[in-house]
Amino acid sequence: MRRRGSRVRVRGAAATVAAVALLLVAGCGTATLPDAGNPPGPPRPVGVQDPARIPDAGEQDTSCGDPRKSYRPDGALPAPGHMPGNTTMSKIARRGRLVVGVDQNTYLFGFRDPATNRIQGFDVDILREVARAIFGDPDRIQYTTITSAQRIPVLRSHQVDLVADVMTINCERWRQVAFSTDYFDAGQRVLVPADSTATTLADLGGKKVCAVKGSTSIRAIAAERAKPVPVAVDDWTDCLVLLQQRQVAAISTDNAILAGLAKQDPNTKVVGPRFTDEPYGIAANSADVDLVRFVNGVLARIRANGTWTKIYDRWLTVLGAAPSPPAAAYRD
Amino acid sequence: MTVPVTSPTAPPPTGARPPLGALARSTPGRLTGLLALLVVAGLAFGAATVVGVRQRGGHLDAVRTRSGPLTVQAQQLYRALSDADATAASAFLSGGVESAAAARRYQQDIGAAGQALATASGSGGVPVRVVQQLTTQLPVYTGLVEKARVYNRLGIPLGAAYLREASGLMRQTLLPAARSLYRSQTAGLAADRSAAAGFPWLAVPVGVLLLAALLVAQRYLRRRTNRMFNRGLVVASAAGVVALLWLTVSWVALASHLGAARDAGSAQIDLFARIRITALQARADESLTLVARGNGAAFEADFGRRMTDLVGTDGHGGLIASARAGADDELRSRLDTVRADVVAWQRAHRAVRALDDGGKYPDAVTLAIGSGKDSAATAFGRLDRHAGTAIDAADDRFTGQAGAAAASQAGAAIGLGLLALVCVGGAAVGLQRRIAEYR
Repeated sequence: MRRRGSRVRVRGAAATVAAVALLLVAGCGTATLPDAGNPPGPPRPVGVQDPARIPDAGEQDTSCGDPRKSYRPDGALPAPGHMPGNTTMSKIARRGRLVVGVDQNTYLFGFRDPATNRIQGFDVDILREVARAIFGDPDRIQYTTITSAQRIPVLRSHQVDLVADVMTINCERWRQVAFSTDYFDAGQRVLVPADSTATTLADLGGKKVCAVKGSTSIRAIAAERAKPVPVAVDDWTDCLVLLQQRQVAAISTDNAILAGLAKQDPNTKVVGPRFTDEPYGIAANSADVDLVRFVNGVLARIRANGTWTKIYDRWLTVLGAAPSPPAAAYRD
Repeated sequence: MTVPVTSPTAPPPTGARPPLGALARSTPGRLTGLLALLVVAGLAFGAATVVGVRQRGGHLDAVRTRSGPLTVQAQQLYRALSDADATAASAFLSGGVESAAAARRYQQDIGAAGQALATASGSGGVPVRVVQQLTTQLPVYTGLVEKARVYNRLGIPLGAAYLREASGLMRQTLLPAARSLYRSQTAGLAADRSAAAGFPWLAVPVGVLLLAALLVAQRYLRRRTNRMFNRGLVVASAAGVVALLWLTVSWVALASHLGAARDAGSAQIDLFARIRITALQARADESLTLVARGNGAAFEADFGRRMTDLVGTDGHGGLIASARAGADDELRSRLDTVRADVVAWQRAHRAVRALDDGGKYPDAVTLAIGSGKDSAATAFGRLDRHAGTAIDAADDRFTGQAGAAAASQAGAAIGLGLLALVCVGGAAVGLQRRIAEYR
């Protein structure tokens, strides 16, 4: 019995060995692992350009003289609800609301409060003062949210009456739209992660630096002699996403926008000197000169009566105490 | 020591075999040849039927236990991912904190997607590159959504940027991958099904030849022996006829069950899955249009395209109308229900757009995601539910018909094999006796 049992075991073992050998032989032909290929890269914001396409750097267009000079207000402002006939303002009054283009992603200037879905910020409050001057009610306003690259197209196609979206006044843009007087003075700086040693664009040669498409900032990055690599996205928050994911080394744009980004992520810092001057203006269609004069009248009033400072204090104290409002300059 | 020497010229011994040619022409020779032919034909028939039936059974098993369930899994994956995209976008609209229902729905979607993905990738035979894309990008997607949520809760607009990035990843990478996985599984199912339902092109002609040979043998014997019947050959013929009938009838039953499994099952699953997923993507478009706030023309155009895919431009075309042609009563009533849901949703959507375009954004959001009777969310929810019910019903029918198809093949391999052996045995016994008479 015992001998037989052991023979059975031996035979069983032999069978197992044979089976394993058979499986191995069978496996050799088929069980090659699939080609793993390259692991996928990190996720990217929709519409990212890396490296950015830089719009023609038509160096320093000065054809318009001082771009800050805008159309002089046409006497005293008309009373709310009594717009003079046959003007752009009376058309807006008849429509019942002011249609404006704003950003919903530029913290502190124009952004959507996720909790309430309301669009708010410094730019938005300035526009609400325009609505108040037309209707006597700042809420008679309809927001169309736009990206930086859409600011000029929506004005030229008359989809909106006004755009206030951290928009720098310059001669090149004057050819396409009309600007109000300067309502905020900004200048380009650099935002880096808190552990970065870079302080200026010159320290970022060969590194990726983010700005939005169609902005003046993207050109300033491309023009830097140390040759940082510009990366363009649709919205400023997309830049911060890229910075947090360590896909870019820095963001460079106006100090006002950078302050809004730094406030959303305390692990970043704004560094270096202001190396450009960026006066912000409210833009309108080039044909709506009467509306621009009216807006300038509104701006003159809020500069004088302290409303500008109140709005500044509501949003921008992270930039320091309220300076005096930028002075208006007129061409005629 | 003498060695007997055989003369090379000695005459052949009597009783020696006649030359082969003469043998073939003699009656016993012909009978022997016939016997060999019948045995070979019978064995070939037996082998062809048994192998054929077993192969068919293999394909049928693949339909029932592999490609069928895998198609369902791939469909689940595609649906769950589309649903996650739509849910994340509409939850974003509801303000800082998404509703408990939306949070649960998103969680279920991600869970279901992960499960379906694990099943699909563990089962071989799926496109590796596609599975790689899904397994590497799904965790990235959920990470982005969670970041969006956190920032959203903090009231910081950065959340919207993460949501856009997540949705872009979903739409540009994950959904196309899930779609191609689903398509490849559907194609695999169709291939298995047509292989299983294929006509036995080898066994039937061999069987017919076998029967013809049996007939010839019997006529030959009748002429030679003047006996009406040879019992062995009659038994063999009867077994051959029964086997051939069994083969044909079981094939007809199999093909009709599998046809029903397709028409009432998988084809309808595919139809309603396409309706449902198109609707989900349109729902995401609707929400993203509102999230983008006036900057959502591309999403709105996409919504319009998907609606046209579903019901055409006039509400009486598109996917639903083309499926309705030639549908039976039950399917038609299901399609009519779904179309009514789509029409109600379109009505709600127009109202949402009118409110948003008229500057009443908060009202538009409420109408889009609220639980009111006329809200877009309610209409979409009904559509989603009705499509889901239709898919479940079709899935039950598929399982039932595939099971019936398997039942129709029960015992076929053994039965047909035995009949072929009876056939060979009958022919051998019947002819052997006649051959023996000539000895």
